[in-house]
Amino acid sequence: MTINLASKKILVVEDQAIMRETIKHILGSFGARFIVEAESGINAITAMRIDRFDIVLCDYNLLRGKNGQQVLEEARHLKLLPVNAIFIIVTCEQSQEMVLTAIDNKPDDYLIKPFNRQQLLSRIERCYARKKYMASIENEIDSGNLYLAIHNCEQLLQRDDKKMRLQLLKIHAELTLKVGDFNTAEEIYQDILHERELPWARLGLGVVAFFLGYYDQAIKTFQDLIEQYPVMLEAYDWLVKAHESMGNDEHAVSSLNSAVALSPMSILRQKKLALLADKTENFAVAKKAYAATIKLGKNSIHGSSADYSGLANVHLKSNAANEALKILYELNQQYHNDPEAKLRAALLETEIHQAKGNKALAQQAYAKTFKLNEQFNKQISRELRLETAKTFYLNGNGEICDEILNDLIKTNIDDKLFIKDIVTMCNAITGENHAETLIQHIKKELVDINNKGVSLFQEGNIKAALAVFEKAIAKMPNNQTIILNMIKIIIHDIKTSKHGPEKIISAQSYINKAIQLGIPHNQISGLQIELDTIQYNTNP
Amino acid sequence: MTNTHILSIGFPAILASSVHDIKNSLTALRALLSQLETVYQDPKPTEFRQLEFETNRMNNCLMQLLTLYKIDLSQFSLSIDEHSAADILEDVVAQQSTLLSLSNIQLITECHDELFCYCDNALISNALCTLVNNAQRYCQSKVLLSVVQEDDYIVFCIEDDGKGYPESLISSDYKQLPQIDLANGNTGLGLFFTETIAQLHIKGDKRGFIMTDNNSQFGGARFKLYLP
Repeated sequence: MTINLASKKILVVEDQAIMRETIKHILGSFGARFIVEAESGINAITAMRIDRFDIVLCDYNLLRGKNGQQVLEEARHLKLLPVNAIFIIVTCEQSQEMVLTAIDNKPDDYLIKPFNRQQLLSRIERCYARKKYMASIENEIDSGNLYLAIHNCEQLLQRDDKKMRLQLLKIHAELTLKVGDFNTAEEIYQDILHERELPWARLGLGVVAFFLGYYDQAIKTFQDLIEQYPVMLEAYDWLVKAHESMGNDEHAVSSLNSAVALSPMSILRQKKLALLADKTENFAVAKKAYAATIKLGKNSIHGSSADYSGLANVHLKSNAANEALKILYELNQQYHNDPEAKLRAALLETEIHQAKGNKALAQQAYAKTFKLNEQFNKQISRELRLETAKTFYLNGNGEICDEILNDLIKTNIDDKLFIKDIVTMCNAITGENHAETLIQHIKKELVDINNKGVSLFQEGNIKAALAVFEKAIAKMPNNQTIILNMIKIIIHDIKTSKHGPEKIISAQSYINKAIQLGIPHNQISGLQIELDTIQYNTNP
Repeated sequence: MTNTHILSIGFPAILASSVHDIKNSLTALRALLSQLETVYQDPKPTEFRQLEFETNRMNNCLMQLLTLYKIDLSQFSLSIDEHSAADILEDVVAQQSTLLSLSNIQLITECHDELFCYCDNALISNALCTLVNNAQRYCQSKVLLSVVQEDDYIVFCIEDDGKGYPESLISSDYKQLPQIDLANGNTGLGLFFTETIAQLHIKGDKRGFIMTDNNSQFGGARFKLYLP
């Protein structure tokens, strides 16, 4: 196959002029006409905002600012890359540390320097061939229709194309994991391992064990893999998760520390290490990891004002209020118009001045916090809101504290880990049972709404039942029970009355949301099958 | 007496950073060469061929140096997956294509479309590139690169029509591997490297290995890489 580059929009990101020239020349000799150059990561992002590129060739080591991996992360995060686009990272070395730095954001391929025209073309052609083959799966994943993606994957597998078989099986297993169909995932991995010991399939088995709650078994699998493949970072990441889930934070910190040593450029790992070390009062490690996170964050979309306040708080905990003040100054320098950063700064200022015994200044900062919270409270992240609630309580404003807590509990009632954070916080400052009372109250409210909707449904008043659940979803968008009942009622409505495509689309979007929220496979798959049957009967 | 370190940063970082800089220079050098080349009409001066060969060799040496260093420190693991043997050959041919276009040497490939091997494909194709690059230097007019299945192994084979390996690089019994005398300046690094990474490919009780002899069907050197 010789691909015609004439119709392709291509972006070349490379800091060396001579290399840009050469790459452009090669692409031109294969017919490319639309080529844009960028010599830095920032310019690359700007170029991608203006044009939708088909091919991006991006050097990893860009002299200033973002590296190639950070450009890719930002482009995907901002959805600047069309689903069919090819992103190739050009590197000097097949260095494993770097190749494996990415957690989720892998490029379509890597190209090792120096390369000649044939190598470049052959790489692009292979990426295109693979994209084209996988398009029916990737497009559905992109729209969130995971069950349809699985179906399309199974269809492709039936072609029995030996060259693609393992790649398809890998995606198939990953998709079944995503929808929570652990038995199928386990079967696929077992079958592959029966043929051949492949590290990613072994890892997959560990992941299945993790999701089924067999943490000991999962930990053993990940540890064995690390012993055999000492730079397999994915195994470290899962090991950390497994230790955490067992409540063994000390072990998690130590595993994460090893992973960070192997991939010091990965901001997400540094950030996680900072948080975990902070939680386990390992302040030396936390300080180092926060500092690294802040440095990497300057070129990354994963950088946040929370990294600064995290570091400042560690300084406060180790009685270094002046150090904390320095960090607060840097925070204010770095973020100007970000409400979340402003609120963080105000909270921090309050605590620093309290620590230093400056009552008047602390009071002033608290007043600022109060105002900012009124202004922005719903736009900020839940972790920060929880922190804010704490400050309100400590400053004698229990009413606002409860208001925030109620809202947080309502929107996160199914998220056990976050609810646990709320309970821990309350037990430490507002006294035992305070959080539990709030939680019980909200649970009862939920049950009432649900019962009301269900009884309306049973009376045959579908319209009123739908209205009750719609209102509830607007209030609690992430509540699993409500979403599941909503799906059931819409499907019933489709079956029993006249319907247009919009009802099917609405049901499908709630199913996709349910998968996102991690509702188990056995509760969703039946509904998906019902919906598929309806669709099939409508236009077979 | 214990060794004390004078340098404040570790040698791995220095090595990695040097390799990185040299590779960047090499890349720029090749870019300049290809621009210069367009100035000349065909047939191009033979110096271009020599330059291409030398830059290839420098690049291969660097890659081997870094990989072997990491293996020695146990900071290395293969990334094994299933790969089409035809794709690996295509990579090798692509890498060698500039050199081929500058010479009259024929690089022939033979491979069944449905042959697959479990390997670290980047490493294996790098190793094969080094050896094919050398074969191009020592052959008369052609090099054959082929892949076949032999029992439980996938076998990559490079044959040429040159004068064959010197005695010191020949071993038909892989267990008595060519005792490559790197210390005496012998250039067996490519073979040593390939043997080292072949050994890292393991299935059950079988390991990869290499064999060298002068039984090429064209009368020259023959190299074989066995992967389980």
